[in-house]
Amino acid sequence: MTGLMRATGVVGAAILLALLALALAADQIAPGDPLRMVGRPLLAPFADARFPLGTDQLGRDIWAGLVHGARVSLTVGAVAAAAAICVGILVGTLAGFLGGLADDVLMRVTEAVQTIPTFLLALALVSVLGASAVNVVIAIALSSWPPTARLVRAEVLRVRTLDYVDAARVAGRAPLAIAFLEVLPGALQPVVALIGITVGEAILVESALAFLGLSDPNLQSWGAMIANGRATLRVAPWLVILPGIAIALAVLSVSLTGDSLAARLGARRRA
Amino acid sequence: MDRHFSRRTGAAGLRGSTLLALAAATGLGAAAPAMAQTPQRGGTLIAAADTEPRNLNPAMVASNGVFYVSSKVIEPLAEMDYDEGLRPVLATGWEGSEDGLSITFTLREGVRWHDGEPFTSADVAFSAMEVWKPLQNLGRSIFANLEAVDTPDDLTAVFRFSEPTPVQLIENALPAVSAVLPRHLYEGTEIAENPLNAAPLGTGPFVFAEHRPGEFYRLTRNDDYWAEGLPYLDAIVQRVLPDAGAKAAALETGDIHLTAFSAVPLTDMARLDAIDGVSVIPGGYEGITYHITVEINHRREELANPLVRQALRHAIDTDFLVDVVFLGFATPSTGPVPSSAADFYTDDVPTYDFDPARAESLLDEAGYPRGADGTRFSLRLRPAPWFAQTRDTGDYVRQALQEVGIAVELVTADPGGHIRAVYTEHDFDLAIGSPVWRNDPAISTTILFRGGQPAGVPFANQYGYDDPEMNALIDAAATELDRDARVALYHDFQRKVAEDLPILNLVDFTFITVARDELQNVANNPRWATSSWADTWIAQ
Amino acid sequence: MPWRFLGRRLQQAVPVLLIVAVGVFFLLEIAEGDAVDAYLAATGAGDAGLAAQLREQYGLTDTLATRFLTYATRLATLDLGHSVAFDRPVLEVIATRLPVTLMLMGSAILVSGALGVILGGLAGWRRGGPADLTITVTALILNAMPGFWLGLLAIILFAVKLRWLPLGGIGSIGADLSGLAAVLDTVRHLLLPVGTLALTYLALYVRLMRAAMIEAADSGWTLAARARGLPERGIVLRHMARPALLPVVTMLGLQAGAMLGGSVVIETVFAIPGLGRLSFEAVTQRDLPLLAGILLAGTLVVVVVNILIDLLYRRLDPRVGDGVRATERRP
Repeated sequence: MTGLMRATGVVGAAILLALLALALAADQIAPGDPLRMVGRPLLAPFADARFPLGTDQLGRDIWAGLVHGARVSLTVGAVAAAAAICVGILVGTLAGFLGGLADDVLMRVTEAVQTIPTFLLALALVSVLGASAVNVVIAIALSSWPPTARLVRAEVLRVRTLDYVDAARVAGRAPLAIAFLEVLPGALQPVVALIGITVGEAILVESALAFLGLSDPNLQSWGAMIANGRATLRVAPWLVILPGIAIALAVLSVSLTGDSLAARLGARRRA
Repeated sequence: MDRHFSRRTGAAGLRGSTLLALAAATGLGAAAPAMAQTPQRGGTLIAAADTEPRNLNPAMVASNGVFYVSSKVIEPLAEMDYDEGLRPVLATGWEGSEDGLSITFTLREGVRWHDGEPFTSADVAFSAMEVWKPLQNLGRSIFANLEAVDTPDDLTAVFRFSEPTPVQLIENALPAVSAVLPRHLYEGTEIAENPLNAAPLGTGPFVFAEHRPGEFYRLTRNDDYWAEGLPYLDAIVQRVLPDAGAKAAALETGDIHLTAFSAVPLTDMARLDAIDGVSVIPGGYEGITYHITVEINHRREELANPLVRQALRHAIDTDFLVDVVFLGFATPSTGPVPSSAADFYTDDVPTYDFDPARAESLLDEAGYPRGADGTRFSLRLRPAPWFAQTRDTGDYVRQALQEVGIAVELVTADPGGHIRAVYTEHDFDLAIGSPVWRNDPAISTTILFRGGQPAGVPFANQYGYDDPEMNALIDAAATELDRDARVALYHDFQRKVAEDLPILNLVDFTFITVARDELQNVANNPRWATSSWADTWIAQ
Repeated sequence: MPWRFLGRRLQQAVPVLLIVAVGVFFLLEIAEGDAVDAYLAATGAGDAGLAAQLREQYGLTDTLATRFLTYATRLATLDLGHSVAFDRPVLEVIATRLPVTLMLMGSAILVSGALGVILGGLAGWRRGGPADLTITVTALILNAMPGFWLGLLAIILFAVKLRWLPLGGIGSIGADLSGLAAVLDTVRHLLLPVGTLALTYLALYVRLMRAAMIEAADSGWTLAARARGLPERGIVLRHMARPALLPVVTMLGLQAGAMLGGSVVIETVFAIPGLGRLSFEAVTQRDLPLLAGILLAGTLVVVVVNILIDLLYRRLDPRVGDGVRATERRP
């Protein structure tokens, strides 16, 4: 592990922790519903102490929006990624362990989903299911599990031939128990490397969906803030710039942290 | 240009001509500057495109998106006008019979279709009987009683009705519903499938040249137009631009001359108006005023209670909506007729001030006190997805109702989903709607209040509200031939709506045009964006 | 043999396409509202009779099973059907949009691949130096930015403030251009969208190329070449860069789908009449035949790009057997 890697990992983790703190303390930092119209519309940042980052065209507090948006974006990103990884693990383990026809069918489905452009699928799903936070999570999860599935399957294929798995088989344990209790844990490590990327992608997909108007109208998210600010880009560019920076910071910090975590684990495994 | 345009000039109860005079006085309006007054021939007008409707046939689809393109190509019998009220186009005159059972139209002489064939009364008869009455979204109800169109000669068309039909209604409807199609190209074909629906052919000042989906529409000058010397422009291009911000930028850079239908953000208006060479022009849309309404599902027990509906109205601050959501480009409404429609409007109706305390006491009185968590009951609100203003109004109404103890959950869908949920499945408690005022209450307004609409009819009373008195009033006005008596009935109708509050009319708004200053004769009639633009010209 | 290999790849694509086709049908089936609702919303009025008439005309009144059967038999005979929203054959609608998207996607893939190879190569060669740090960090930051956001800012800067480039679209309207002028005009229009798309995907290639360069640098071949005193230039290009290209090429293919997805928002931001924006319209118009056509076309594009990439891969690395490829979509 190079010094550069370590440094970026630390920076990433620091940003991520700061964002998490903001998200957790959103209600204390900016009490009340961030969607409330509380001030004069289109106040510039730093113009009014009550609204440090200004207001949007309906007089909603941008600072409150960013803080509460952190909660929404990070939650959606994390939950969607977790769900995608779980689906991926399930499919990958079953395919790798069962083999034969099951493997063929599962892998064809995986290929099908992976071949459809991820975002197109998520877009179609949310338009059809309706724009709510839960549906956004479902759509992202359903469209982004294939990489995990393929990775897990490859690992399972490697691990299932190892001695301790044979031992379990000889001991007469149920096949599924072997798959999930013996094979899977050994195959999981490389999945860690995918976490950072999957979460980052999920945050980006959420923001892009919101940008196209497909976000939960009862919640303030960063993507929705950009979509909202798009029309006023020329008069109030901060409405677009600030949430964009927030998204970039979140994705960057998640992927840096994920990378360095994976590198650490990889180093340990090799050692 | 000056940026001291006053707010609330929107539709503000002024008649069009007054409005335009006001616009001129405040330095607004490209028509105003004391530049060259003699129109110049030539030039291509580049405008921002609106929507890209798949069917551009205005005789079938009477909608503003269709008119924006096709009104330059296909003409109606008459068009709205600031001075005369109604200006003859393909018809030069019309007269109703005493019994209200027929209207005789005299048609213009010497008009030719773009393919050179002469325009005759047969075209009008064909359009009316084969298209307007059976196929057109508005015509199906307006011409429901139309029995036949007689054509005693090439320039006379006699519309015969089975029930007495007010001439006033037909006159008011003409600009929107009477686009005439070429019979020789439509007869004997499946009208709905005719390829001309995507590439219209008419008698208008411009010939349809090309549509590149996602890119642009191009219309070129009709050299054989019936009005001598018109049109002035060589061509019109309507260019598809990505979003409101890009449209504003394109005006700034001079890439386009014009955006209509408030296509640039209202928040950008002051900035654009301050730019040299760009002007913000309110007016030119009086004939297509929109209402912002709260649609109410009376099937919900709480909402069936008149006290609750009154409370909702008291809880909503329409001045706030006008100031913040519409930036002054709207008027608080008193009912289903906009104040700009002087013929029909009355302000002699019950009104409901913004008064949250009163709203709370009404809700208490209705038997819905605040619970332990401060909430009386919760509602699902579906804002119509098509205007930024309907969505923003949804955000505001949610907040305003939460203020008086009603929890509101916003539910959004795309247009198709929204229509299905509200007008077919009645899967909503409240919705934010944007019905259009089309110059006569009988065209698209009373249908919002008349009971007995089957499920699936959009933009109609799907609210579970069915009041015998209201129904009787609407039916009586629909066949009343005497103009004054008819207007009196519609005044009663407005009072009845304000008493019952079947839905809540919040504000009325029209659109804003933003144009480069070299563009002349902009917004010079009450349906300008959807009119022919024959007299529009570019100063070089 | 490449032909046999090609045939097998296409065969593998068939079940994938089948699954996509069935998925699309049921996706639109669970949507609230149908094509007629979308149509009525667009026209602003209508009555029950009109709605019933239209549903009859579109074949929406049949039972679920009948409709599925109609849909399936049509697809089986490669008849993509008639687009409800555009009132034209689906194939025709897609044919007008596909070239634009291919141009956008193809350019973006090439640009980000080429930039990734050059910058990643530089970073790997000068490992740990200031160039490495700058390149790696910049690429990571670009990768973290939402593409639509970057696009919006690019428009404001280059089209509105500086006025160097057009706001959007794919060509100047009304300008009757031909030959070189037309090509230049298209290039000017594509510069911002391609740049935006390419930059947001750059990090992946930079990272792969860098890692592969470093690996190659430590390999026996490179050490041996150095020991023999070969010129540094030759070592870097022949022994480090060439083998390092392989994973990048693989990834280009794997990312084709992601790029197609990314082009949806980019096309929206830049008003480009491509497949991405079309798909959004198809969904909101509840245009089942069109959406099915688009997803199938998109899938086909991804499959074809991957086949091309595989062929390229085989040229670069003859060791590879038929279609065997171990590298994953992302590391």
